[in-house]
Amino acid sequence: MKKMLKTARMSALELLNNGVIYLLPDILIKAFTLTALLFLWRTVLSSGADAGMSVAQMMTYTTVSALLSEQLNVKTAASGWLSEGVLLKLYGRPLPVLAQLFAQTAGGWVPALLLFSLPAALAALALGVTLVPASPLFPLSLALCISLGFAVDVLFACLSIKMRNMSWLIDRLRAAIAAVLSGTVIPIQLLPFGMDKAMRYQPFASLGGAPLSVFAGTADAGETVALQALWNLIVWPAALLIWKKSQEGMVSYGG
Amino acid sequence: MADRITPRRILRLLAVSAKMDLAWLLRDTKYALIGMLGELVNNAATVSGTFLIASRFGGIGGMSADEVLFMMAYSTLNTGLFILFGSGNNIHISRIIGRGQLDHSFIQPLPLSVQLSTGGFSPFTGGSNLIAGAALTVFSVSRLQIPVTPGWVAALIVYQIVTLAIIAARSYLVSAIAFYAPAAAEEISSTVIEGSWFLSTFPLSGMPAYMQFPLLTLLPEGLMAWFPALSLLGKPPLNLTAYYPIAFALLLSLIARAVFKKGLKYYAQKGSNRYVPFGFRR
Repeated sequence: MKKMLKTARMSALELLNNGVIYLLPDILIKAFTLTALLFLWRTVLSSGADAGMSVAQMMTYTTVSALLSEQLNVKTAASGWLSEGVLLKLYGRPLPVLAQLFAQTAGGWVPALLLFSLPAALAALALGVTLVPASPLFPLSLALCISLGFAVDVLFACLSIKMRNMSWLIDRLRAAIAAVLSGTVIPIQLLPFGMDKAMRYQPFASLGGAPLSVFAGTADAGETVALQALWNLIVWPAALLIWKKSQEGMVSYGG
Repeated sequence: MADRITPRRILRLLAVSAKMDLAWLLRDTKYALIGMLGELVNNAATVSGTFLIASRFGGIGGMSADEVLFMMAYSTLNTGLFILFGSGNNIHISRIIGRGQLDHSFIQPLPLSVQLSTGGFSPFTGGSNLIAGAALTVFSVSRLQIPVTPGWVAALIVYQIVTLAIIAARSYLVSAIAFYAPAAAEEISSTVIEGSWFLSTFPLSGMPAYMQFPLLTLLPEGLMAWFPALSLLGKPPLNLTAYYPIAFALLLSLIARAVFKKGLKYYAQKGSNRYVPFGFRR
């Protein structure tokens, strides 16, 4: 545990090596995007059509989605590990590779949580956005989302091994999933043509969209958490098995 | 000695890039096709999200679902154009600067601007979104029954070029930071290009003017698809002239050019030292 904490600390500090100023563009774009999205959703929902959620719930959903964006859409260094030289570091340290990836990723979350999420949460509260979870099951749902996010990331890492390091392609696929299937950007319950019901049960819906729905109170918390637990039980063994089989196929050829 | 740059020379350089692109497609067909499919899926997912919302609510902020579809077609077309001319990280320029790869360009007998404007041309593997965008444009135009004249087509082409110019200028402007901090700012062009991509596909109609104006100036996502699409539909928003995107692109390009040149001068004096002895980046 001590080694993991050290790794996490190193990862957090690595992002700040050049000074906070280089994190500012990302923070500013996040803040501006959040503000714009709040107005956009207000515009969409004020059309009077039945959205299955109130404007207040949508504001909460969007705000929490921005505040916890990295936790809701887990991305480890494994995505680009074959080209970025991460591989050498991971296999040269006295800690299991997956444990390092978890620690590194969690440590990397800290600067954004402190520099963006905390101030943005305070600003949102001041503007009247509700930031109290509608269900006490939210922390469990978030934990299951993060856990499943790591498992999915391991699968994508294995895919990058299979795809001979086309990490940019993996990135594009992940972005597509985040855009439509996970409910992180567009809540699944807002999709038309009955897609909301069909898509609720696919594994990616148990990622970001699930804890957000639990937080905003737009889904049955018990059923959502049970579904998340089920997907964790299915995806994790598969991820570990594929990971075990994939490791020997790694080929890294420079930066 | 540097070659004389003529339109014919530019075309020959584009042909060189096209030949390399074709070589990838022929030698590595499976992965090239998977790459093309990946780009297509990514864009389809981004724009379909907005269109699905418009379908569910019968339009967004006064724009009908068909008008939103036209806007998505415009966006897809522009994504296609972006990939067609920007496949070599030449628009994601902070990656080239941050990785110390600009040095490779310095030893070529061609001006840097010519290398960067022709080096990312990929007509064979980069055209999938352009084709999808063209098909979607034809479909949405027929649904909206827009009278398509040569003038309208010319306006569409000009707007597409202007949108691409704004994306490139913004990227180059911000990427100048990578001259000073190559490691920290290596991916800054991705932050400005992709960080707010979803916002650029969202209709801003119906939002208050105090939100629309910043999205047409400070963070010009409204100029990526919303403003040009409405202008092509004959109703430029906010009582602005339909020429506004052109003026904005020109101004932004001039600022970006000045800032980038300053950074380049600094880089020429200081250089970059990103690589460790065993080949990877620091």
